[in-house]
Amino acid sequence: MSEPEYGRAYWVALPIGGALMAFGIAGMVGDKGIATSLDIGAWLVGADVAHDFVLAPLACLIGAVVAPALPRWCRAPVQAALLTTGVLLIVVFPALRGYGHDQVPDNSSVQPLDYTTATLTALAVVWAGAAAWSAVRLASAGRGRRRPRTRARRGGRPTSRR
Amino acid sequence: MPEQTTLRVFTSEQHDERNAALLGIVLGVTFTVCFVTGVLSHLIQDPPSWFRWPSRPAGLYRVTQGVHVATGLASIPLLLAKLWVVFPKLFAWPPFRSVAHLVERLTIFPLVAGGVFELFSGLADTHLWYPWPFDFRSAHYWVAWITIGALVVHFGAKWAGTRAALFDRTAPVVAAAPASTSAFDRRTFLATVFGAAGAVTLFTVGQTVAPLRKLALLAPRRPDTGPQGFPVNRTAATAGVIESARSRDYRLRVEGKVRRPLEFTRDELRALPQHEATLPIACVEGWSTSQRWRGVRVRDLLERAGAASDAEVRVHSLQRRRQYRHSDLNRWHAHDPDTLLALDVNGEPLDIDHGYPLRLIGPNRPGVQQTKWVTRVVVR
Repeated sequence: MSEPEYGRAYWVALPIGGALMAFGIAGMVGDKGIATSLDIGAWLVGADVAHDFVLAPLACLIGAVVAPALPRWCRAPVQAALLTTGVLLIVVFPALRGYGHDQVPDNSSVQPLDYTTATLTALAVVWAGAAAWSAVRLASAGRGRRRPRTRARRGGRPTSRR
Repeated sequence: MPEQTTLRVFTSEQHDERNAALLGIVLGVTFTVCFVTGVLSHLIQDPPSWFRWPSRPAGLYRVTQGVHVATGLASIPLLLAKLWVVFPKLFAWPPFRSVAHLVERLTIFPLVAGGVFELFSGLADTHLWYPWPFDFRSAHYWVAWITIGALVVHFGAKWAGTRAALFDRTAPVVAAAPASTSAFDRRTFLATVFGAAGAVTLFTVGQTVAPLRKLALLAPRRPDTGPQGFPVNRTAATAGVIESARSRDYRLRVEGKVRRPLEFTRDELRALPQHEATLPIACVEGWSTSQRWRGVRVRDLLERAGAASDAEVRVHSLQRRRQYRHSDLNRWHAHDPDTLLALDVNGEPLDIDHGYPLRLIGPNRPGVQQTKWVTRVVVR
């Protein structure tokens, strides 16, 4: 993947962005809400490491294991549903674990639902969509085999058109 | 200049310059929206001398903060997808080709770390979950500046390449993995990512958009759940005010720069002219709900006490600790006809968790500034 040379935009953006970053760092150092910037530094490094060396490899692994094992007509729908499932679980996991409500146990308006049921309901919607999509692909793939000339561009067509 | 290469394991068709460019533009927009609405919220809560937030339109803060949280949540799949698309570049070899390139790559760290931290800490805050040793608001705010700075550098570095990838039809298309085995092609991947962002929004935005509240399956709050049918951030027990709020000795005092300091019992407050207003509570954490409030106008009290017509006010709670034990009303908020010290909500006396006997409620204010258990109005 070659990259183009840096244009003027880079040399304009560099000092502006650098100044904004310096403002953020200076403000952080001077903020009494932050006892030591080392704490935040650790969280920032942790955020990066958690993504680059845990979450992303996990996504690669799941994709590499799941995708080849699936028949072609449901591969894209299942991958799409898996991706959506992962994202929804990230969004809801504090509520699933009760993180937050455990700090204010007398406040019943924080995380008021049964989040296991709620999450399963949301995921059921996602997977129902994936199932419907798979069914459409299966049906059109079946028709495609019988009449390849007219139906070949629909549904379960080959991935790369380049 | 040497070409860079990366590990050959990344064969998926999604690691593509056009996806990187497109997701980059969308994230540039969503992060900018979050940054602007976030800085605005910060200015409203800690106004510098040059900034005065108006009291109208009444629902404006509800919109800006609702947009802030909804956009941040929707950015979660967008950021993860963007990082996924460019993930092979992390392992590029040699690691840099020039000093300019080295500087650019170094600013990727604050961009990625800051972006992930902002979305994670923001998500955790909506759940009132604080698994770190620092003040959330300080950290979220300063890291936002660092992240937006890194984003500006990144934008400058990638602008030419983005234009070429998206708009330059003559540029050679970077070859995708040949005859990919995946049926999950570039466009399907993009559609899925935007679909996931839509799903996140669909299942959470009901915490602030009332008609969708039944769909808010994954949101930490329901605008219709809590004492008297709406949520509470800080209960009376946690604030340690149950006794003082119920005490026979409770008084509201109006003092400071006034000609006639005033003092009222609960009954005397009820005997004053009452005013009704439908106003939202718009929480910084992203939920909001409109209720019908009834109570005494702050400006009527100020007039009765003989305060100046442009007086500013600090409203104090019975709470003894915490930064939100008082809040300030600038001259627009103090004199707005709908800024109330409310005794009732929806026709009933306030629940103690909603601020019994008296709470501040005014148009276009963050929820944390709608101080509960009010006992003192100090004119300045």
